[in-house]
Amino acid sequence: MRRAAVVVLLLTIAAYFFLPTPPAFAVEHNLAGSVQLDYHAVPANMTHARQSGVPDVLDGFTVEGALKLAADISDHLSANVKLCYGCHGFEMDMAYFDLRAADELNLRVGRFSPSFGSFNLRHDTANHKLSDKPLPYDMGRMLRFAAWNLSVLPSPFPDNGVEVNGTHWFSEKVDLDYAIYAVSGFKTASERPYDLDFFASHNPYYVDNNSRPALGSRVALTVKLGQVSDATLGGSFMAGTYDPKSKFAYAIAGSDLVVRVDRTTFRLEYLARRQWFDTSNLALFKYPVGSSDFFTKHGAFVELEQGVTRELDLIGRLDGMYRIGNVLLTNELSNKASVGRATLGAAVAVERNLRFKGSAELWVFTDQVGGPHRYEETFHLGAVGSF
Amino acid sequence: MNVRPRHNVRATARVALAFATALVAAAAASCAGSGGRSEGLDPSTLPSNVRADYGVFAHRCSKCHSLARPLNSGISDDGYWAMYVARMRRQPGSGISHDDEVAILRFLHYYSLEQKRKKPAQGASSHVTLERGAL
Repeated sequence: MRRAAVVVLLLTIAAYFFLPTPPAFAVEHNLAGSVQLDYHAVPANMTHARQSGVPDVLDGFTVEGALKLAADISDHLSANVKLCYGCHGFEMDMAYFDLRAADELNLRVGRFSPSFGSFNLRHDTANHKLSDKPLPYDMGRMLRFAAWNLSVLPSPFPDNGVEVNGTHWFSEKVDLDYAIYAVSGFKTASERPYDLDFFASHNPYYVDNNSRPALGSRVALTVKLGQVSDATLGGSFMAGTYDPKSKFAYAIAGSDLVVRVDRTTFRLEYLARRQWFDTSNLALFKYPVGSSDFFTKHGAFVELEQGVTRELDLIGRLDGMYRIGNVLLTNELSNKASVGRATLGAAVAVERNLRFKGSAELWVFTDQVGGPHRYEETFHLGAVGSF
Repeated sequence: MNVRPRHNVRATARVALAFATALVAAAAASCAGSGGRSEGLDPSTLPSNVRADYGVFAHRCSKCHSLARPLNSGISDDGYWAMYVARMRRQPGSGISHDDEVAILRFLHYYSLEQKRKKPAQGASSHVTLERGAL
């Protein structure tokens, strides 16, 4: 199905280039794309045999690409189709219509990433200046991603559904954005689930595994502090069931603050996911289950981005996750585990549409409270181009 | 108690040095040439009556994507820009107000004219409606 989608998209693009344009063709289209090649160096894996290095990491070269076609059909109707290629293969990141009645009322229908948090606006590799995403939104670049089952909310998270969103301007300096949505929600094929299966959420057939939609909302207030400065404070929530029988739920809440002053950007974001799981087989768990049939995964990041020259940006980021709750016997984590990371990076524009990215990361893992810390260092060097 | 694997010290230093060298080389390559290599424009090269509008464009549009996308989009039609910027303004969280939209369109009008002036032959012969824009 994804291959078919790729073929259809490419043929459509080719047709626009090579077929004659009808004189009365009023629909405006634009095509955008990006490609990032990144080399993720994990010294522990470069110098030792894989089994004694860091497990569960996508090191070496990875490439991520995206191609988007947008059509402005009228003042009130537009459409977007975006195809991505990444570590998980092809993904239809967008396929939706926007029907706008007013600034305060827009109806989005199709496949899209529902409004949640601030980072998701910049999830495309060309739109963030470090090679990887903040840990709460990581989708596979983190060390030990299998033990952690990725992040709190791997971004992007395209899903089928409908969203009503809009913006109300109280004045030229203050506006309120809102969004409410119903989407298929995260999935697992298991009827006795323990956690979300993010791979199932990206399976080739975009069909729901239960009939109960996941619901969510976002509210964000933006205040302009000056002509080139503003601050945005937002809050987001989504919840749904993830198993085929809709017995087990998840709920994700988050808040975010972004302050931009000229070429300086400060970002702070926190989110947490509570995940209910099946406890019918107590022998599967590392700890007594008792009355607790859920775990909670917290994640946060703080990031400072500073433009030094017109070509060079420096970025510093602290991020981490804290997981509290029972784990399976087979999992190496304890019922209180944390991971923290400090990143220093730079982005250098070598041409208007081409940027090199480099960063160094120091990781610290603590699998149990009071237990030993495990440190790792990793490095990224990549290039991202956009058009 | 901390666990720092023995292998890491020299290997990490070598990798860090290699990566730092590569990044410095990229920075040097970027700075070695003349202007026009950054993602945005140099405001000092713009007419004084355009700089404020460019500032609004640069600040608002860089919130979600690189400035290279609109600047290299190839769009030169005011009507298309109006529709395009209106769509961007209505994106959730864009922060682009109606006043910002006016300033952004004023800058894009100037920029489109400049692009046409620099490439008159291409601008006159182009009839392709498929343009490039922001992700």
